[in-house]
Amino acid sequence: MIAVLARAALPTSRAIRWTPIAGASALLLVAAMLTAASGRPADLLPAVAAAALASLLVGSLHDPAHDLLAPVPVSAMQRRALRLALMGGAVLLVWTALGLLAQTSPAATAVGSLLALAASGVAVAVWGPARTGVLLGAVVPVLWFAVDQAVPGGGLAADLVGLWRTDPWPVVAVALVVCLMGRHR
Amino acid sequence: MSAATTYAGVREAPGTLRVVCALAATEVRRVPRNLFLPLGLAFALWLLLGEIDPATEDWAGSSYEGMAVSSVSLMWGISVAAAIAFQRERVPVALGAAVPEVVRALARLLAMLPLLGLVGGFAALVAWRQRDLGGLTVGEEPGRTLEALQTTPELLQHVALAVLAVALGAALGRRMAHLAAVIPLLFLLWYLAGAFYWLYGHPAVTPFSVIQVQPVLVPIGPADADPLAFPDHWLLAAPNEYQDGWSRRFVSTSLAWWHNGWLLGLAQLLLAAALPSGTLRRCLLVGGVLLAVVSAVAEVRVIP
Repeated sequence: MIAVLARAALPTSRAIRWTPIAGASALLLVAAMLTAASGRPADLLPAVAAAALASLLVGSLHDPAHDLLAPVPVSAMQRRALRLALMGGAVLLVWTALGLLAQTSPAATAVGSLLALAASGVAVAVWGPARTGVLLGAVVPVLWFAVDQAVPGGGLAADLVGLWRTDPWPVVAVALVVCLMGRHR
Repeated sequence: MSAATTYAGVREAPGTLRVVCALAATEVRRVPRNLFLPLGLAFALWLLLGEIDPATEDWAGSSYEGMAVSSVSLMWGISVAAAIAFQRERVPVALGAAVPEVVRALARLLAMLPLLGLVGGFAALVAWRQRDLGGLTVGEEPGRTLEALQTTPELLQHVALAVLAVALGAALGRRMAHLAAVIPLLFLLWYLAGAFYWLYGHPAVTPFSVIQVQPVLVPIGPADADPLAFPDHWLLAAPNEYQDGWSRRFVSTSLAWWHNGWLLGLAQLLLAAALPSGTLRRCLLVGGVLLAVVSAVAEVRVIP
């Protein structure tokens, strides 16, 4: 199966639309350079980047040929994993560059928060309706971030919506279990 | 044998204006189904009425600046609404529609007009809030005021931004393949424009920014300069960890008017990207470039 996926990697990488991630990366890197030049703390920038990059990563699951490929022996979950691996590599490169460029605390650029948002989005995309699942999943990271910004701190609600930042690894674990439960979808 | 043949009366085809209005009416009914719009509005209202308070502001003038960016989440919602409407143009059967694409695009744009009205209402709320608070603080002693109110063009920037938001959403929705990529990109664009507005506050950069937040900091002297030597009517910023010397907090009505012109010029260029090729598109391109260039040059000249 690994050999099949390896052969599918090149055509899949051609089918993935790279323009959105390229545009987002350029914006983020320019913003990181500007914030570093200004000398002001910008811990919010990695958080915004995590939400946007996770959202674009989930959005890469959109496959116009999904129905056409349904009868092939490579399952939908394996094709998703291949897309995520290809796009995930690019996202991690951008994330690393961002961490090097932006003047932020090391905790702000830890990869856990990015993975927590991305895994949650993928879980929703897997379990969502066939036609709109990817769109719903792609919206999850940015909405979660926005709600986290809006909820005032100090209460249970704030603790819950801030889990992707404060305790990202349990979130990743739960999202992965949810994804595994939907591996036949 | 002969049979009398009767023909049904031929109905005259409706005019373009009626078609545009009918399509716009349909689109207007679809717009409220967008979840991002109420979310964006709620977030903007929470920011304006709950979070921005001169009594607890982080630095002198942060409330004044915050009110200029308070509508960013609403702009995101509007852009997403426009993107969803224009994304529908990418459905393959759209090619076979009975009316040309430019008419459908105009109808979609017409359907976005109520959103501009909504933002106009938000701008009025911003103006009311400032008066309700008794004015805002801008500047530091000896150049300081406690009763600053944003001027009309500063308030109208929210509406100009809404026009830009519609145009941006329309261009991305029409030209990008899937909303799953459009929504995060719009999020990123608006968030970087709003939450990091201080990045674009330098006098050389602010004419080309998306959200112009006044006052603009103009360096006027070293840290050991006597602030009492500066003109009385100047609002001042004292040296701090981010700036070495004294700066003037420059507020200008004409700068704000020209910036609105810059935003409308950008909006025309983006709208041109959302429309099919033709006369209207060319007019938008030429008009957009002219307006944007003239406005940017005027802004550069206004800033001392």
